[in-house]
Amino acid sequence: MEFRNYCAKINEMTARVRMAENGAQLVSRLEGRQSLRDIEPNIFPVDCGPGQGDVVEFHGLEGTGKTETLYHLITRCIMPVQSGGLEVAVVFVDTDYHFDMLRLVSVLEGRLAEDSKEGDCSENEPEERVRSCLRRLSVVHCNSSVQLLLTLHYLENTFSSQASLCLLVIDSISSFYWVDRFNGGESTVCQEANLRKCAELLDRLRRNYGIVIFATTHAIMRNYGSDSGVSEVPGSSSSSRRWRLADSATDFDKPYLCKAWQRIVTHRMLFTKSHVSKQVFSTACTSIMTKGVKRCSFHVMEGGIKFVCDK
Amino acid sequence: MNHLGVMVILREGICPGINEEFIKALQSEDIKTVEDFVSCNPEELAQKCSLSYKALVAVRRLLLAQYTAFPVSGADLYEELLSSTAILSTGNPSLDKLLDSGLYTGEITELTGSPGSGKTQVCFSVAVNISHQLKQTVFYIDTKSGMCANRLLQMLQTKTPNMEEQMEALQKIKVFRVFDVFSLLACLQHLRSNGLQKASVGGGSVKALMVDSVSAVLSSLLGGKQNEGMSLLIQVAGELKMIAKDFNIAILVTNHVTRDGNGHLKAGLGQSWSHVPRTRVLLQRVEDAETSSLRTATLTKSSRQACHLVEEFDLCHWSEERRTSISGKRKLEERSKP
Repeated sequence: MEFRNYCAKINEMTARVRMAENGAQLVSRLEGRQSLRDIEPNIFPVDCGPGQGDVVEFHGLEGTGKTETLYHLITRCIMPVQSGGLEVAVVFVDTDYHFDMLRLVSVLEGRLAEDSKEGDCSENEPEERVRSCLRRLSVVHCNSSVQLLLTLHYLENTFSSQASLCLLVIDSISSFYWVDRFNGGESTVCQEANLRKCAELLDRLRRNYGIVIFATTHAIMRNYGSDSGVSEVPGSSSSSRRWRLADSATDFDKPYLCKAWQRIVTHRMLFTKSHVSKQVFSTACTSIMTKGVKRCSFHVMEGGIKFVCDK
Repeated sequence: MNHLGVMVILREGICPGINEEFIKALQSEDIKTVEDFVSCNPEELAQKCSLSYKALVAVRRLLLAQYTAFPVSGADLYEELLSSTAILSTGNPSLDKLLDSGLYTGEITELTGSPGSGKTQVCFSVAVNISHQLKQTVFYIDTKSGMCANRLLQMLQTKTPNMEEQMEALQKIKVFRVFDVFSLLACLQHLRSNGLQKASVGGGSVKALMVDSVSAVLSSLLGGKQNEGMSLLIQVAGELKMIAKDFNIAILVTNHVTRDGNGHLKAGLGQSWSHVPRTRVLLQRVEDAETSSLRTATLTKSSRQACHLVEEFDLCHWSEERRTSISGKRKLEERSKP
């Protein structure tokens, strides 16, 4: 009897070996991804930049600079090391046809030009340098939460085989909120089902492959009756309260996406636009690993973001 | 592929390898949709159902290939954009300056303003310019019965005395009348699936689509607890964006204005719509102007220029350049032209 169990166990183990990764996948998993901790010290808290497996949520109203900040960070990732970049590959998932390639290229050209002034004027023409940076970027368009889920499953192969792929950007993960809510009928569980599956899959991807995930969420829910600090909104979970205590009070800051998503977020960046001076944007970044808020301000210029940091 | 986000149900014949027994075996494990199937681990599934591991992996791969969106390299995307993006001049130099040369194909530009601020007139002027000057077909979706062919003819008559030219330009403006959101969606879906290429007149391609106005059909759906309104708004946005991107068309929509908490004007239709247009221009009447056709246009959202740029122009003298800014009141008096 015991011998049979022993055989069954051996069969199971060898069965697993049969289905194991190939050499490239093994190497890419063990070697680990390049760290993105130094991607932008201006906006992330000290010693708390996005490490492997971190999920950063960019939250804010329309026109507050989230997408512009994303382009800034992506440019830093895809530029070559000689120009001050990290030379890693990025996958950009665009859910509402929002991606503006022409704008990304202006920001990229601006950064490459400013870095080549100091360094050597290499043989490559500027066009070719832009193209070689762009080859490190892949763009996918999804137009429903089902397609997003299936595409993330498909991308799992890409993550496992390409070790230079360190960053997954989803702009934005809240696009299908209203459509899903309507299609799910009365039950919240049905409404959130697809996003919950996406969040669970993202959790698995970040843990198994150590990629960093940046996702933007639109601020579309009004926060009725909120003070600066403690919220009285009924039904707010302890996780949303934890975020709200650190944030500056805004009217549109209520977390509304499903709990599965809120559980995997490690850094939350809140974007606001200054009422006083129209051209100034601010971020306030909190993370589950540090206390306190890292604040920063910036202008948006033709060549990208220019920081006006006070700390 | 159903783009409404409704789950994709596993049916026989949905992909090779899926037959009735396959589906029955999956249903016994409570797996009815493609996303449930793909989310399961094929190893565990092979142990629970009586299906072979190989078959499960093969079907999974086929389904993913069929239903996922594929990544495109940034370099290829950029090449494609460079070769296909066009900028359509509006015909008005001040407005063109604000929009960084004109309406960009592949993007949605929004015109907001209170009633009487001239949104429909601006749409007419832009349509006339595109059909006559640029010789391209324009699709004009009218939701307010504001379309007046006589006015278009009047505008064309100021551009050319030649009747044939006028008629040719008029024929390039195709008008669709819709009065509720469902007919708007049906119209857009029809255009997307077969109307666009066939409907272009005289060999020119369709490069512009205007919706005057989106708020007329969408604002009545918002508010209250109904989810359907928001979902329909997002669907309209999705259709417009897909048309803009897939067919390289410049889309111009008009929207009303409301006042925010501080009394400032902001675009209507709320936060969820505000993410949709790439560029937004606010039209306002000029106070105490000697001609009632003067307007100011303020850039309130743009990914290419600094916001809050203001330009002034005259609705009746569309192609003229106004060399004054809003502060030059003295110059305004000098410029009174018949």
